[in-house]
Amino acid sequence: MVLRNRLPLVAVLLALSFVGSAPGQQPAGRSEKEREQLAILRGSAAEADKALACKMLAIHGSADSVSDLAAILANERLSSWARIALEAIPDPAAGEALRREAGKLGGLPLVGVIHSLGVRRDGAAVAMLSTKLTDGDAAVASAAAYALGLVGDGPATAALRAALPRAQGPVRSAVAEGLVRCAERSLAGGKGTEAIAIYEEVRAADVSRQRKIEATRGAILARGEAGVPLLLEQLRSPDEKSFRLGLTVAREMPAGATDRALADELAKLPPARGALLVTAMADRPKSTDVATLVKAAGAGSKEVRAAALAALGQMGNPAAVGTLLAGVTDADAGIAGAARAALAELRGAEVDAAIRARIEKADPALLAVLLGLVGQRRIDAVPAAITAADHPDAAVRTAALKALGEIVDIERLGVLVQQTVKPRSDAEGAAALAALKAASIRMPDREACATRLAGALAGAPVATQVKVLEILGGVGGTKALETIASSARSDDEELKDASSRLLGEWMTADAAPVLLDLTTAAKGEKYQNRAMRGYIRIARQFDLPLEQRLEMCRKAWGAARQPAEQKMVLDVLRRYPAPAGLDMAVTAHGTEGVKAEARQAAASIAQKLGELPAEGWAKLSALGLKRSKVEIQKAEYGAEGRKKDVTDVVRKHTGSTVVIVLPDPSFNKVFAGDPAPGAPKQLVIRYLIDGRPGEVIVNEDQAIELVEPK
Amino acid sequence: MSVRRSRLARRRFLGTGLAGSAAVAAPLVIPGSALGLDGTVPPSERVVVGGIGIGNRGTYDLSCFFEQKDVQFAAVCDVKEARRNAVKKMADDRAGNDACATYRDFRELLDRDDIDAVLIATGPNWHATMTMYAAHAGKDIYCEKPVTKNIDQSLILKDTIRRTGRVFQAGTQRRNLPHFAFACELARTGRLGKMKRVYAHPAGMTAISSGWLPAEAEPAKDQVDWDMYLGPAAWRPFNPKFLDGFNFEKGGGLVGGGVLEWGTHCVDLCQWAVNDCPPPVEYNPPKDGEIVARYADGVELIFREKGWIPLGSCPVRFEGEDGWVEAGDSGKMVLSSPALLAGREVAEIGGYPATFHVRDFLDCVKSRQQPKTNAVAACNAHIACHAANVALFLGRQVRFDNATNQFINDAEADRLRSEALREPWRL
Repeated sequence: MVLRNRLPLVAVLLALSFVGSAPGQQPAGRSEKEREQLAILRGSAAEADKALACKMLAIHGSADSVSDLAAILANERLSSWARIALEAIPDPAAGEALRREAGKLGGLPLVGVIHSLGVRRDGAAVAMLSTKLTDGDAAVASAAAYALGLVGDGPATAALRAALPRAQGPVRSAVAEGLVRCAERSLAGGKGTEAIAIYEEVRAADVSRQRKIEATRGAILARGEAGVPLLLEQLRSPDEKSFRLGLTVAREMPAGATDRALADELAKLPPARGALLVTAMADRPKSTDVATLVKAAGAGSKEVRAAALAALGQMGNPAAVGTLLAGVTDADAGIAGAARAALAELRGAEVDAAIRARIEKADPALLAVLLGLVGQRRIDAVPAAITAADHPDAAVRTAALKALGEIVDIERLGVLVQQTVKPRSDAEGAAALAALKAASIRMPDREACATRLAGALAGAPVATQVKVLEILGGVGGTKALETIASSARSDDEELKDASSRLLGEWMTADAAPVLLDLTTAAKGEKYQNRAMRGYIRIARQFDLPLEQRLEMCRKAWGAARQPAEQKMVLDVLRRYPAPAGLDMAVTAHGTEGVKAEARQAAASIAQKLGELPAEGWAKLSALGLKRSKVEIQKAEYGAEGRKKDVTDVVRKHTGSTVVIVLPDPSFNKVFAGDPAPGAPKQLVIRYLIDGRPGEVIVNEDQAIELVEPK
Repeated sequence: MSVRRSRLARRRFLGTGLAGSAAVAAPLVIPGSALGLDGTVPPSERVVVGGIGIGNRGTYDLSCFFEQKDVQFAAVCDVKEARRNAVKKMADDRAGNDACATYRDFRELLDRDDIDAVLIATGPNWHATMTMYAAHAGKDIYCEKPVTKNIDQSLILKDTIRRTGRVFQAGTQRRNLPHFAFACELARTGRLGKMKRVYAHPAGMTAISSGWLPAEAEPAKDQVDWDMYLGPAAWRPFNPKFLDGFNFEKGGGLVGGGVLEWGTHCVDLCQWAVNDCPPPVEYNPPKDGEIVARYADGVELIFREKGWIPLGSCPVRFEGEDGWVEAGDSGKMVLSSPALLAGREVAEIGGYPATFHVRDFLDCVKSRQQPKTNAVAACNAHIACHAANVALFLGRQVRFDNATNQFINDAEADRLRSEALREPWRL
């Protein structure tokens, strides 16, 4: 086997090996595959082949493979490959072999075998693993502790508990880790008392801080409500890590006593900690006492108040609405902002009603805030907002316009159109325009919306028309497209500029005929060119039937006036290879200015189409392209002293002609990185064409064409 | 799955949080001064971070950490000397001192008591194993994706993070981008009606294997520590081609490819769209460029190569009975009806920056809330990708039981759930 080719070969072999097998059944020929791999394992094959045979046996192996796999466990290079199979083979023989070999091995291979026994949850290995806890090699003893923790049954737990006081250093830490797993399993098995005892043993042991944290977490949770004092101990600890553990566990504890205890604790903690405790309480929305947070939101430190206000919004209890509304005009901007944000989040019809009820009697400052909430919550209060749009206070008017952007319906969209076309001030004009945009793009009937917007264009200043056209671009649909296309044919430079730009960014393919028409109908070469690029963009980027795409390419080619546009068409043909596209590329080769690109496109299409009929090659021969056996021997990219091997990539994009077309013009992109930043780079390719050697040097990002060897 | 209305706070533009087992609440808005974010960060509020395996992607991630005033970057570990030194220079230049320590063995970095959190940006070969070691060392973890190599690693990750009480964020930063978050919110909160299908872009449906390449002269350990680089991957001789960690031993070296590479982003978003429910229970082999998987309630997760609206890389599409939304890396989204926007202003942020994802992580380090792509969410998304890869690899349908975490009556598929690690490494 040629090692260089192993990577793709392995992938193919693995992929093909299972096609067609049915779940739960022995795949056809499986035993044969096992025999093939065993033959490799037993023979004089290279290590590489034996390693990969092990990997295949993880899939195909049975008890028949176990002894051969076990025989190479002592080989430090292949041991882990063998365990890949031995861990996966479900037959008990695999466990037996691992146990047997554990008695013979030492060092790293033994560590690996012990790990595998743990992964297999091999209860029969517990006695042996228990003896390994006192192995002189700390790595072996730690591995045994880890494995026993994974097994986690009664004997394994007993062995680890006995070992904890005696173990030293890293082994003790591993024993503790194993015990935490055992305790978790005990708890899950209904043995809460045993679990608590184990956790307490770990907490009392001389182990790392993290082991204690894990055990403390378990000790609190295993006790349920009785764990609250220990939880509070963490929250009160001067140690930051203990406090953080408290925050974590506070979110995991059952409802009831914990909630009461957290509520009591809130008032006792320093503000910074209190604010963080509030975040934990908010993550217990079903059980946290809202009254506690309401109280905290109303008075006290700024940190806790702000956190409590946010929590009230998050928890969704309407009982908080009064507190939140009181907060929105707080003298402290941070508190007011937190209250407004919370009110925007707090769900419920009661909240909407409470906000709506306060609009009528609100002073200007509060009214502006309430209108903001009307918009944010999308409260049905259109009449009130329309009234407020004529309020004497400019801030209220602006807030009303913004709210209308969120709530106005199609019938009353004219209010915003009017304010946009004839604003009281520039600032309010901008607010009205933003509101009109927000309203327009959410209208369910976009054709009706576009019709009203189109009506607003007549008589409006050009600057306003441009803005409305942009809104139409956001709305989309037939009417919007027609309106923008009409503007694109106007004599006004600003309108033409905006319209052609919007059409060039259109998100549906129905803009294609409009753009094609504008390639000639638009007034001004600049706009005609922009239309052409927009048309080709649709052909290049959108999901279209192949025939439609090719037809667009034909039309684009016919309308194109510049080589740059013709090259773009050729790029589309190259991206979507088709016989008809090949014909077009061959024909395009007769056009001055794009000969090279046409040749590249033709070669690329031919390569992607695979086997070409004789007539196809005959067409290519007119471009100087003939069918050859092209073999890439070596390709390197970079600058002197800083080159990378790119042979595989170049091979992948090499076909049966001398032209090689990479998927992107940027070599750095195709070759996954810049091997020599800032330096001029070259691609050097050594190759054979029909058995004759050649070499070509290509400057960075230039077209690649191999030179036919003499 | 049930479609539940989120109760949770929307933090700025970041969309709503989740309900269900992977539920996360975006951290509450606490005044910046309380967290020391108003320009002066007291030592007690700093998060001390260490970086492991900081190559191309890691350097970008690190730049996002460096943008955060409350990050103190203390140490870097890399098996490659050149990278260690390059990152140290970046860190020292930022801090104006010479304090960034360098390590070749990540365990030495993890042993430091002063480090709160680690950024793991090694190749995928190391992600899960290193995450477990970091969790057991008491560190919070931001880990690049794909986080796991197989199904069992995904499950162990979830359990370990819970048991150790750690904060974990997978590097699927699109969860913290406004348009993706909004698209998921539309699906999750019922605005699209009863969900029918969610689409992910796999960018290639091939099974790949890293295999074994011919031995070449091994560099000095100080320059490239080959044994440490191999880490939990089965032994093979040194070959410089393997040093592209991004492509080394992904998916256990057995099955990987685009389904895992891009799926951990796109499927992750699809999972969010369906409330981070358990992963699909049925996976079919590719047909007409699609892998179709089904959730327990019949909603389809479709890995689709083509047919996307041109919205940039990593596109997703969510379809309900009443509407659909499609979004991509351009920062743009397309809606079946503009009414779905309902007046919301969704910031258009293209280029998939990780800054907001990193901020989310750091906030959670302090508050102990669950980040957007916490371990449960990451576990579910990764299992969906791994199981789809198993169907791809076997060339037939597989069914997965989320209660037992095994394939149903399928011993062959079950053998692909895990793979032994090279000694002495363990999970």
